[in-house]
Amino acid sequence: MTAVTPPVTRSHGREAARALAAELSKLVSLPATWLTLGGTLAANPILAIAFTNAARHGPTGPRSAPDVGLTSIAYVQAGFVVLGVLAACSEYEGGQIRTTLTAMPRRSLQFAAKHLAVAIVALPAAAITAASGVVLAAGALGGTAAPTTAGHVVRTLSGAAAYLALWTLIGVAVGALVRQTLPAVVAVLGYLFIAGPLLRAQASAARYLPDSAGSAMWSSVDGGAVAPARGALLVSAWTIGLIAVALLGYRRRDN
Amino acid sequence: MRALAAEVAKLVSLPSVWIATAAGVLVPSGIAAINASAARGAITRGARATAGADLGYQELAFGVVGVIILGVVAISSEYVTESAESGGGRQITTSLTAVPSRLRFLLAKASAVAIAGASLAIVAGAATMSAVRVVLGEHAPPLGTDDVPRLAGVVCYWVCAALLAFAITVLTRHGVVPLAVLIANTSVVSVTYLLTKITPLANYLPDLAGAHMFVRTFAGGTVEISPLTGGLVMTAWTTALLTVAAVAFTRRDA
Repeated sequence: MTAVTPPVTRSHGREAARALAAELSKLVSLPATWLTLGGTLAANPILAIAFTNAARHGPTGPRSAPDVGLTSIAYVQAGFVVLGVLAACSEYEGGQIRTTLTAMPRRSLQFAAKHLAVAIVALPAAAITAASGVVLAAGALGGTAAPTTAGHVVRTLSGAAAYLALWTLIGVAVGALVRQTLPAVVAVLGYLFIAGPLLRAQASAARYLPDSAGSAMWSSVDGGAVAPARGALLVSAWTIGLIAVALLGYRRRDN
Repeated sequence: MRALAAEVAKLVSLPSVWIATAAGVLVPSGIAAINASAARGAITRGARATAGADLGYQELAFGVVGVIILGVVAISSEYVTESAESGGGRQITTSLTAVPSRLRFLLAKASAVAIAGASLAIVAGAATMSAVRVVLGEHAPPLGTDDVPRLAGVVCYWVCAALLAFAITVLTRHGVVPLAVLIANTSVVSVTYLLTKITPLANYLPDLAGAHMFVRTFAGGTVEISPLTGGLVMTAWTTALLTVAAVAFTRRDA
């Protein structure tokens, strides 16, 4: 009689930790990740300086440094969305998804790990982006800036960072749904830059859409927007909803 | 001629090109219909006497996103690497085997993009103007002889925008970056428009100068550019970028 050894099983916690480590390793070893983040971080100061200049010569009175320095967020969010789409769609270029799912057969777990890994990379980058714009604006405006409180600075900065991270996750979800980089990029950016602003101009209900609700998290320029906290809640709800739809598709579709 | 036929066949068989077509027709006509119904409401309330002279044209300036996608995917699709299971090849190597002259290949491709861009502009222009007229009814501004050069300007703007997107993507060899930058710049407040706040020279960037061909009133416009000058400036930008793209394309490995 030989003793039967019980099969070695991984605990759920260990499995999740290893899935997250695998997704992080894939993400940081993708050159596109660093190229996208580098390009975005380089473009932001240029835009921030342009906006600061425009604000100094603009007809509106003095504005505070966070208001001016965060205006560029509306444009550099394109870089974060592209990062999210690339993270999701790189799986489908060349069939890496089959290796991924062989190693991590639990699709929901893998999907959650992917989103968490992207959030871990995107959030610090978003914080740096937001802070660099505000620091530049504060430096350039100097004494001409409208006074502001530390609480306002912290609130708008954290709002901007969270907003960018959430839109990165929306990029991941749309990328996972569409599975092809270019169409996914066109869909999200077409919404963010063309459909969204035009809807906002026409219908008051558009302020509950993820772009308008989200901009309330960091921008104090938009009139008639929702309160910042409600904006954050709304964008989070949109993001979770989109991730849920993408997950449903991911679990039910062939790869 | 056969190279051109081949390029047209490639364009027509790309699914992304049909997405671009849908975007190019639906975006301006849809927005124009929404804006026209808002203008109709304002007219019936008596808040405004007539619909603006730019109704329809302003929207066609956004519809240019369709030809931007067209110009980008026309060349980025050549550089997409197939999956390892299907050999890991790229279409550009096949294309250059069939048409070994780089310049002839690029010329055929650019001509196909220009033809497709012009056709799309004509369809989108007709759809947008009909949408405005259907929604506004008797309040619609009449289409007269001075609309002919403006509509021609729209076609010229779309062709130039398609070729600019094409030339930039020839240089980058990947579609995501030009697509992201150019779509971000099609937004209501474009980056180039912000640059005009810093230097008036930014008015001579291709998208702003070209829009003078058909848009009459610019919010906060600082420089007066005639439609003809605007068209010439945009054409000069397009020619310059196409030349740079051609030089790079003929000199480097595929």
